[in-house]
Amino acid sequence: MTSQGSSEPRASPYFWYRLMGRDEEGYDVYELFIGPQHPASGHMRIIVRLDGDIIVDAEPDIGYVHRTMEKLAEGREYIKNIPLFERATIIDAANITWGYVRAVEQLLGLEAPPRAEYLRTLLAEINRIASHLYGFGIAGIMLNHSTMFMWAFGDREVWVQLAEDLTGARLTHSYIIPGGVRRNLPQDFREKALKAIRYMEKRLQDYERIFVKNPVIIARYVDVGVIKADEAKRLGIVGPNLRAAGVRYDARIAEKYGAYPELEFEIPVREEGDAMARLLVRIEEIRQSMSIIKQILDKIPDGPIFHEKYYRMLPPKLKEFVESTGRLKLPGAFIRLKPEPGEAVARVEMGHGEVFYHIVSDGSIKPYRVRVITPAFRNVVLYRYLTRGARFMDLPAIYGSIDYFPPEGDR
Amino acid sequence: MAEDVYKPGNLLTSLKRHAAAIATGLRYLLSTKRMTVRYPEFLIDLGEGYRGMIRWRRERCISCGLCAQICPAAAMKMYKLPGEKKMFPGINYQRCIFCGFCVDVCPAFALEHTPVHDLSYEELDEMIYIPERFDTEWVSPALKEGARPVKVVFDEEVGLRHEPK
Ligand code: SF4
Ligand code: SF4
Repeated sequence: MTSQGSSEPRASPYFWYRLMGRDEEGYDVYELFIGPQHPASGHMRIIVRLDGDIIVDAEPDIGYVHRTMEKLAEGREYIKNIPLFERATIIDAANITWGYVRAVEQLLGLEAPPRAEYLRTLLAEINRIASHLYGFGIAGIMLNHSTMFMWAFGDREVWVQLAEDLTGARLTHSYIIPGGVRRNLPQDFREKALKAIRYMEKRLQDYERIFVKNPVIIARYVDVGVIKADEAKRLGIVGPNLRAAGVRYDARIAEKYGAYPELEFEIPVREEGDAMARLLVRIEEIRQSMSIIKQILDKIPDGPIFHEKYYRMLPPKLKEFVESTGRLKLPGAFIRLKPEPGEAVARVEMGHGEVFYHIVSDGSIKPYRVRVITPAFRNVVLYRYLTRGARFMDLPAIYGSIDYFPPEGDR
Repeated sequence: MAEDVYKPGNLLTSLKRHAAAIATGLRYLLSTKRMTVRYPEFLIDLGEGYRGMIRWRRERCISCGLCAQICPAAAMKMYKLPGEKKMFPGINYQRCIFCGFCVDVCPAFALEHTPVHDLSYEELDEMIYIPERFDTEWVSPALKEGARPVKVVFDEEVGLRHEPK
């Protein structure tokens, strides 16, 4: 662009550029469409404009897995929306539904008993580890490091198995419900979890040797896709991507929900803001989550796992079943939860970052409106800001380091 | 951890790191420990709590219809049987998401999860279980074909181990 005082149009070399196959400004820019059938990400497209090997602009083209979730939610009873929102981030089901349930609980004026809050936190942290490992594996395969992909996905299985022991389902737990959780801690859970933690600690050292400190990965990740704190704040980035840019923000601290106020953990922050920093923050978060799980297993209080108001409605025979098996039974009234008219907002820190829910109730059995802003949706803008001026080769590195999850962004 | 990834390395550190990466990979390549289960020769026994195919027991059902009302996927429906006044539930496995809400809400213990999860169908219609068919015992096809059941054991060395039951 030129800014000239004279109104006389400048004699443009455009004609000659066109002849040479260049655009108005003389750049040899061409467009490259990556996706939507992409071997690593799936369900999204990036439109990249390249000048030779340099990315001039990259535009994330999302919406391929948009399922109108917010609209669907208006047509379902409150409890039925839990399995629905779960499907936004199937790899982090506990966290994404927790936000919704917290908002519904505010509308209902309920609070879950302490033991239930601990169990929620437990599953949330198991999910956070699984979610980070998932992102880790994808980041690995994007750098053609297929070992990292296999390892991370294999080790994720350990955490998926733990979640299955607790909830009965590998991924679609539907575990957190208004007023509590659906299952009590299984007897041998503690032993299993401690073994999983010890295993994972060892594996993280292996990861370090084969991936993190691998000179190939260092060359591809250090100083690539840099974003600094000011810019990250301005763009509204959330989650590990924000913390890797030097901003100490985590909804678990900001909101003080669940059992987090009673647990000790650190929020890993790094200053560099590059792809490597994002990776290191996630690895450190896995460590912190494991420490949280240990604390939960030590500190978890006894008591009910479901709110008295609903538990009372169960006939004695069902109560007996709940006591003996640790599996909750739901009262029929639970199908049609009817909050007072009003609004509620809630946020929760997912593996990918903060998720935000805004529910409007008109006093009927279905929500009038549910707004959900997912962390992936906030982070998708990074594709544009991190890639400008980078080499094309850096695109997969940046792509993997953002940990973008298309179904979550599209909802 | 991993602080030194930001320090400029020299040829020697670089070589050391390459060697460490390759050695780590080799160690696992040569190890005999595997996390994989060779289905269908082996089948993981998922145990009691797993939310698999749903077993309905007609003699227990009190036809309250709560299961059909709570189903978020509209998979469970009440059917009228010929010659019966009461309605009974049937399930459509094209729709079921195995959330287990129906099992949790059933006041008569007429619905139960089984650990069976590996069924497949040739026709979509077969996936709809009207009450007459719903009252069945589920059997894993792999088990029927002679798969050996294994159970999952957490292990500090391999993560997950699968031991014969
Ligand atoms: S498990 Fe869930 S989806 Fe399946 S029939 Fe029961 S309530 Fe419906
Ligand atoms: S909830 Fe149980 S008792 Fe009621 S109709 Fe369904 S299966 Fe029968």
